[in-house]
Amino acid sequence: MSTTEKTIVISRFDPDQDEAPRKQEYKVPCDPSWKVLDAVNFIKDELDSTVSHRWSCRMAVCGSCGMMVNGEPKLTCKTALDEYGDRVEIEPLANFPVVRDLVVELDGFMHKFESVKPWIKRVKERAEDMENFNEKGTYSQSAEELGQFKQFSMCINCMLCYSACPVVANEPEFLGPAAIALGHRYNLDTRDEGTEERHEIFRGEGTVFSCSYANECSEVCPKGVDPAAAVNQAKFGAVIDWAKGLVLPRAPHAAD
Amino acid sequence: MKTLLLKLEPLIWFMFGQGIMIGTMLLTGWILVLGILMPLGIVDPMNLNYVRAQQLFTTSLLGIPIAQLLLAALLVLPLWKGAHHVRSLLIDFGGGERDGIVGTVLYLIAIVGSVMGIGAVAGI
Amino acid sequence: MAGPAHPEAMAPPTPGRTRTAPPQMPSTWWSSPRIRTYLLFDATGIIYFFVGFLAIKIVGQLGEGPIAWQAQMKALENPIYIVFHVISLISVIFVAVRFFRLFPKAQPPAIGPAKPPPGPVIHAGLYVVWLGLTALISLALAGVIL
Repeated sequence: MSTTEKTIVISRFDPDQDEAPRKQEYKVPCDPSWKVLDAVNFIKDELDSTVSHRWSCRMAVCGSCGMMVNGEPKLTCKTALDEYGDRVEIEPLANFPVVRDLVVELDGFMHKFESVKPWIKRVKERAEDMENFNEKGTYSQSAEELGQFKQFSMCINCMLCYSACPVVANEPEFLGPAAIALGHRYNLDTRDEGTEERHEIFRGEGTVFSCSYANECSEVCPKGVDPAAAVNQAKFGAVIDWAKGLVLPRAPHAAD
Repeated sequence: MKTLLLKLEPLIWFMFGQGIMIGTMLLTGWILVLGILMPLGIVDPMNLNYVRAQQLFTTSLLGIPIAQLLLAALLVLPLWKGAHHVRSLLIDFGGGERDGIVGTVLYLIAIVGSVMGIGAVAGI
Repeated sequence: MAGPAHPEAMAPPTPGRTRTAPPQMPSTWWSSPRIRTYLLFDATGIIYFFVGFLAIKIVGQLGEGPIAWQAQMKALENPIYIVFHVISLISVIFVAVRFFRLFPKAQPPAIGPAKPPPGPVIHAGLYVVWLGLTALISLALAGVIL
């Protein structure tokens, strides 16, 4: 099959040697069937083994290979190289500290992610609450109830939304799209009883109200999660709970 | 000040929401007629002379001063949309650090304007 | 607006073992049509501020008596005011179109047992209310009704 030569510009940063990230160009014979990730892998395998990048599944489920391609956050295994011209610029995800080359620091994201308590919280544990279980010992949930949150559970944590979000870029405390969407996913889950507590977190330091509804997160999401919908639904819920809290006493939180 | 804003954020967002929704819906006709059609003479400005303006803006329905309520909403709510969006615009241009003071000033302007607006409606 | 993001953006809670390069915003972020639309949307806030305060002044003049009101109506014929109001009208329509598009999906899937109508129905409903209110207010101000 015929290949076309493209210039792939990779952002390089070696913390031991480089003051700041620099650009390096590679001439790559590209196959028309390639995704952007294939070109980066080709460079790593054939041209320059010192290039560092993250990838794993090559089928858009692991969420590792997010990079900026010509300035836009993309899942590189899902983005056809053919969409771009002869010169393609690849940079590490925007809004993240850069560890090396195309690899970004994930701990900040993981910390935000955990802080919304993304698991099912129950006030009463299973042993004390048998009447609400079905015979199999699980909480029953209808297909319709599942449908309310299923979309928000499809997130693969690729962090493209954090790179696209103008608020993440300027307000370091902001919880960010994926974390709020995941918290909201549990709030919509009929088995969960932690909604009020998460709404308190949503009104806390990383407040959901920082979101200015640019909708960029949803534009770049490769899985159709629509985090902007979740964030703005969460604002609504957080306001209702806040107003309730002004007149009604708060119930105790479920244990973590 | 950042802490105070954080505490009031649900209320601020609520006012902003009303501003963008109700404010936009009420402003369109107001701007169209009072700001464009009447000054250009396409609609005769005498149709809204002092006597009729007084009448129209104090119209009530079933004892509720409906026109005054709508007018108050039209004067007050856009200020909250304005304050909130100017604040987020300034954050987008790198003002995250100064957000506490900038946000407070913007909402203070909206509060002062709201009092002025309600005063203006009450003064008709 | 190319250049660095907030230096603390997405920073780990405790510093890692190696030095990192500071977070960057994409150098092209403001040139993307979507981002421009969004920035313009936020920038209409400035217009809303001015429109709001101008409307407060107009209504305030009504409280000052017939002469003040007449003078106010005359003042609005100044081309500067007319141009400003044309820009305002464009802004308000732009805000309505973008906001009504984004509004339906921000509604919770259910409020207690009640379910909001499907997105397209909410979207259409917003337009009906907006155009209806605009027609009503325009006709009332123009003296056709009431």
